[in-house]
Amino acid sequence: MVTGAAEARFLPRSQLQVLIDLLAEDGRRVIGPTVADGAVVYDEVRSPDDLPVGLRDEQAPGSYRLVETGTPRVFDVTVGMTSWKRYTFPPIVPLTRASREDGHLSLESSAETPELLAFLGVRGCELAALRVQDRVLAGGPFVDTDYLDRRQSSLVVAAQCTRAAKTCFCTSMGTGPEAGEGADLVLTELDDGFLVESRSPMGDQLLDRLPADLAEPAQQTAARLAVAATRESIGNPVATEGLHDRLLDALDSPRWQEVADRCLACANCTLVCPTCFCTSVTQRADLDTSTIVAERSWDSCFTAGFAKVAGGSFRSRRQDRYRQWLTHKFATWIDQFGTSGCVGCGRCISWCPVGIDVREELEAIAPPAEGLRKHPQLAGGTGPATYSIGTIRSIAAETADTYSLVIDGIDPTITNGTPGQFLMVEQPGFPAFPISISRYGLDHVVLTVRAAGPATSHLVHSEPGTEIGLRGPLGVGWPVERALGRDVVIATGGIGLAPLRPLIDALVSARDRFGRVRLHYGARTPRDMLYTDELASWPELGIEVALTVDRAGPEWLGRVGVVTQLFDQDDWRGQPAVAYLCGPERMMQVAVRTVGERGIPAERTFVSLERHMECGIGLCGHCQMGKVFVCRDGPVFSVAQLGDALNVEGL
Amino acid sequence: MPAADSHLHPTRPKAPAEAIARPRVGVAKLTSCDGCQLTILDLEDHLLEIAAAFEIVEFPEATSNRSSGPYDVLLVEGSVSTPEQVEWITELRRRAGILVTIGACATAGGIQALRNWGNEPAWRASVYPRPELLETLATSTAISDHVVVDAELRGCPIDPHQLLELLASLRVGRRPQLADEAVCLACKRRGTVCVVVAEGIPCLGPVTQTGCGAICPAFGRGCYACFGPKEQANVESLAAWFAEHGVDETSVPRLFAGFTAYAPPFREQAERATRHAHGQKERTDA
Amino acid sequence: MHESTGAGPGLVPPAATGGRDGEVRFEVAELTRVEGEGSLKLVVRDGEVVEAQLAIFEAPRYFEQLVVGRTPDEVIDIVARICGICPVAYQMSAVHAFEDLFGVTVDPAVRVLRRLLYCGEWIESHALHIYLLHAPDFLGYPSALEMAADHRDLVAQGLRLKRLGNRIIEVLGGRAIHPVSVRVGGFSRAPRRRELEALLPDLEAAIPEAQATLDWVAGLEPPDFVRDPLLLSLSHPHEYPYNDGRIVSNDGIDVGPDEWGSAFHEEQVAWSHALQARSHSGEMYLLGPSARVTLSPETLHPLAAEGLARVGMADEIRRNVFRSIVARGVELLHAIAEARDIVAAYAEPDVIRAPWTPRAGVAAWATEAPRGLLFHRYELDGDGLVRHAQIVPPTSQNQGAIERDLAGFAPGIMSLPHAEATHRFEQLIRSYDPCISCATHFLDLRIEEAGEPAP
Repeated sequence: MVTGAAEARFLPRSQLQVLIDLLAEDGRRVIGPTVADGAVVYDEVRSPDDLPVGLRDEQAPGSYRLVETGTPRVFDVTVGMTSWKRYTFPPIVPLTRASREDGHLSLESSAETPELLAFLGVRGCELAALRVQDRVLAGGPFVDTDYLDRRQSSLVVAAQCTRAAKTCFCTSMGTGPEAGEGADLVLTELDDGFLVESRSPMGDQLLDRLPADLAEPAQQTAARLAVAATRESIGNPVATEGLHDRLLDALDSPRWQEVADRCLACANCTLVCPTCFCTSVTQRADLDTSTIVAERSWDSCFTAGFAKVAGGSFRSRRQDRYRQWLTHKFATWIDQFGTSGCVGCGRCISWCPVGIDVREELEAIAPPAEGLRKHPQLAGGTGPATYSIGTIRSIAAETADTYSLVIDGIDPTITNGTPGQFLMVEQPGFPAFPISISRYGLDHVVLTVRAAGPATSHLVHSEPGTEIGLRGPLGVGWPVERALGRDVVIATGGIGLAPLRPLIDALVSARDRFGRVRLHYGARTPRDMLYTDELASWPELGIEVALTVDRAGPEWLGRVGVVTQLFDQDDWRGQPAVAYLCGPERMMQVAVRTVGERGIPAERTFVSLERHMECGIGLCGHCQMGKVFVCRDGPVFSVAQLGDALNVEGL
Repeated sequence: MPAADSHLHPTRPKAPAEAIARPRVGVAKLTSCDGCQLTILDLEDHLLEIAAAFEIVEFPEATSNRSSGPYDVLLVEGSVSTPEQVEWITELRRRAGILVTIGACATAGGIQALRNWGNEPAWRASVYPRPELLETLATSTAISDHVVVDAELRGCPIDPHQLLELLASLRVGRRPQLADEAVCLACKRRGTVCVVVAEGIPCLGPVTQTGCGAICPAFGRGCYACFGPKEQANVESLAAWFAEHGVDETSVPRLFAGFTAYAPPFREQAERATRHAHGQKERTDA
Repeated sequence: MHESTGAGPGLVPPAATGGRDGEVRFEVAELTRVEGEGSLKLVVRDGEVVEAQLAIFEAPRYFEQLVVGRTPDEVIDIVARICGICPVAYQMSAVHAFEDLFGVTVDPAVRVLRRLLYCGEWIESHALHIYLLHAPDFLGYPSALEMAADHRDLVAQGLRLKRLGNRIIEVLGGRAIHPVSVRVGGFSRAPRRRELEALLPDLEAAIPEAQATLDWVAGLEPPDFVRDPLLLSLSHPHEYPYNDGRIVSNDGIDVGPDEWGSAFHEEQVAWSHALQARSHSGEMYLLGPSARVTLSPETLHPLAAEGLARVGMADEIRRNVFRSIVARGVELLHAIAEARDIVAAYAEPDVIRAPWTPRAGVAAWATEAPRGLLFHRYELDGDGLVRHAQIVPPTSQNQGAIERDLAGFAPGIMSLPHAEATHRFEQLIRSYDPCISCATHFLDLRIEEAGEPAP
């Protein structure tokens, strides 16, 4: 974090008006987040009441809502519909005035003197966007003087984000949530006020005149933690490493046509984008032709006329335009200007009328190569010989042959695992085997084990107090963050519910961050169902539970009743949902197909695979499947990753 | 002569390379409400200037002076819906140097095109006890389905600024600057909050040609496409989105059965809506 | 119908004498300076008028069928397109009919905003008619554009007033023609106070200009044509009739605004696409400014009442239809004055759009378009969709009276040169300010099932 010349101060909430008044000196107009027609837009701010007091935003692809928080906080919203380019690079600007008199032509600049402005509440991603536009519009051999004048007439007061929307991905683009360069002051909101730091000589002057004491260490820590928590909550949704080359290698991907089938070429994404800078010049209509004014207005590479020449258009198809936009923004921009054109603000995701999500499109069009995928919880120093010790605290029967074991006294890295990960369980004399963690506790985990062979039988018939060896947590788990803001479909059968239970726990723990959640669960008989207490109580926690049992014959897989029956209800379809599937292989094959037919794309359909594993860390070769090792690159995969592998017999 | 794709390529100027000093202008009307002609008279601040710059030789609503042409520029509003009008527009085409169709009736058939799916005979009989006294066609169609059109001003009614732009372009000798893009650009330049994203209100702006200045979202309701479909209008995608976000299945097609219902990209949805509205069976050979 | 191609609607000289001896024909194939497409045909034989036709040849558009299966808010958008000059009137009659059936009570400020919207349309329509359509007749010009060459300031004044009316509609409804914000329950958007305030200086300046307009039109010399017409309009105890009141006549009709059908019906005539209205006893009524000024003078704005008294033409307005231009002048002044008062006192409403639930039943209402009473009647099904519609525009109600007046006027001008007499007939027709794009109506016939699609 860049440190300013002056030390950090704390401005009580009650003194925020003083800051606004200071900024408004010398006739400056203070522009900040205000609320209009259900969204945050940047407009004039005269008092703290004009700010989004007690509001936060709920954003998702194609959706934006404001929700009341009941607090006096003003920066719980993130980015709204407008960006600062509305003021630095206005939608319509007069350029030249042409007039003829006595046969002489004069062409004059129509430049207006920009007014003095102060931008209040500029986020990390937006500061980055200003830096990007500085580079594009004023950092080359030809300078947009109107832009430069406006930039130089504006003070910048940044606000570090203490909350993220579900569409944010500044972390992946390296632009936030911490405020980078380019601000005069930086605010970080706490419950009772704001930490204020200076980043420029002008900022120093302002800071001096604020009724703000030196910030106490506790306040500075609180601010730092709040921003760190924001960073944590976003995670790393976009794999940017090597993205430039991956995109440019994928110009022939069939995915462009798929997204074009959804894309409306309406240009909303480019107009809400804080870095898009394409414009057109039009002649203002005038019957009196002695004086004609030419104007510059926002345009977009998505419009029909953008790439038109006398012979036609270079980009007549929607897919050409979408490809142009994405590859320019994420790849060729780097070649032109040295940085990515995207700052991860997420506006294009929320304000797309049909909810196209660039994070998803990038993943689908230019997926990171296997092996580059980060493994979030690799236990340090894990090797084929390393185990830690855990103790069986209790054993409870779930069904006739399946038991849940509570294991405590374990290495803390195990309780820090993620839903969908597994442990290798070692009992002296028996082969080690993998078991999914079926619940995380503060100091314990639960393993749900079916007594299928000697090793597992030995485990489930052990006495409480018995110590066992554990390696893990291993593998790539369920990507819960992909479900943020979306409906969730979970389909599983029999013991397949075990690796899904931690996922459901995660959904329940932050229920309001997800859409509708429905669990489809089937078993041979009611007595073969796991976690019957929870199945009864989950509905009260907002998880819809649809159960089915199939008594017909020993090979119930043949009918795959759970899947076809439970998907009969017609009240969800397609785009907004995520699917998590786990169960017998044939069930999963049918489920994957059914879910795909209902419109959930392969990138958002996740399966957990089971394979023979001996080491659990991709070194023994047993679980190799095509390009992946199920233990190390899975066991959770998106269907897109697997491609055809799931259906190829014997793979 | 049909120009089936004229909705996609609205402007085909005959490119008069030089400006005409004081063009002879005519205004004619087929089947319509008069609103587009009235837009000319609604340019109150410019009307006398227009009368000086152009010689208005034929404009029955405004002047008793008549002229049967020829016209340098002929503005025609209204759709073709009677046999007489088919002959008449062909005749007008002969008399016009530049033929400009104005308004949704002239450029797309208008709201009255909802009869095009087989309803007209029944409707005529239901309105008039002696339907044989009237001569009408079964369809109401755009003028460009009958003759070549040089330029189009879309809208219901047309936009006064676009009208001024057309007149200004005639003075200068340039092609009229009529943007071929979605209403969304006008909304975003204006700073209007998107009603689809922020309120879930169905709005056809993303598939509609701009020109009105994005009035409807600025007034808290969704666009109803009175300027007709933009190029590459992706109706299926938008319709699917609305169907999944709170608009019931029978109402989605009705969104497209408006003042430009017969424009090809909207036609399929509009037909479905109209048949449903009148209790007709779906077409099985669709 | 009208002339076929060949010559087309170019200049067709009025037919002079032709045919049998003693027969004089007056024909204008396409009337000018009226809204919509109509033609005049008048035949006098042996000094007696044997045919007087205002034939309307607007191609039918079947609006009563276009609204079938549509929701109330869609209907409001659709019916505006019946007329480009008075779309607000169609939206008002429709929205009030639906709100009456659904039992919706709008915010009082919404009611006021609707009156303001109607003021805007009346101002625009009356200024259009007075200055651009009708006055040229009195001063002997073919159009206001020629009139402007000699009377530039006068025409500029008329255009200013018309523009002001349009600006009011734009502020409330987004655009002057086919405004977008009228919804069941109110408006989709409340204007900000500062948006309306911006109109105030021009509204203030318009009042003396409207008074000058009234004085001017009162001084225009009309042909002498006196009769004793039956008049019909809405009438309200407290306000000049726009959106509300009872349907009353000067011969005792007094029914609710939803009860037009209890006193009137429509008939088809062979020569016209427009159905004509008659009372059940066969009478023809005159609607519009002359009727309103005569039937409701006590609710005029004080400035308009004072103007009417000053020009002293209340009785002439009633009896000589050529004086309708004066009635319009009175109403223009009224609308501007009322608009000024509304804008000066405007406070944004608490609820710009009241919630509502559709219900099955009959929705009917009449409001006063600039040209007169406009009646709508809709039958809705259980889903709140329209199943049947009847729309009766003022022109269809006036038409019988127009033709009767043509016949009555003829004897007085037979001695004039033919061209001038024809011109007088046209001027008579223009006095009614006919708005004849509204050429589709629905008789009380029902189709049980829609016909099979045409092959």
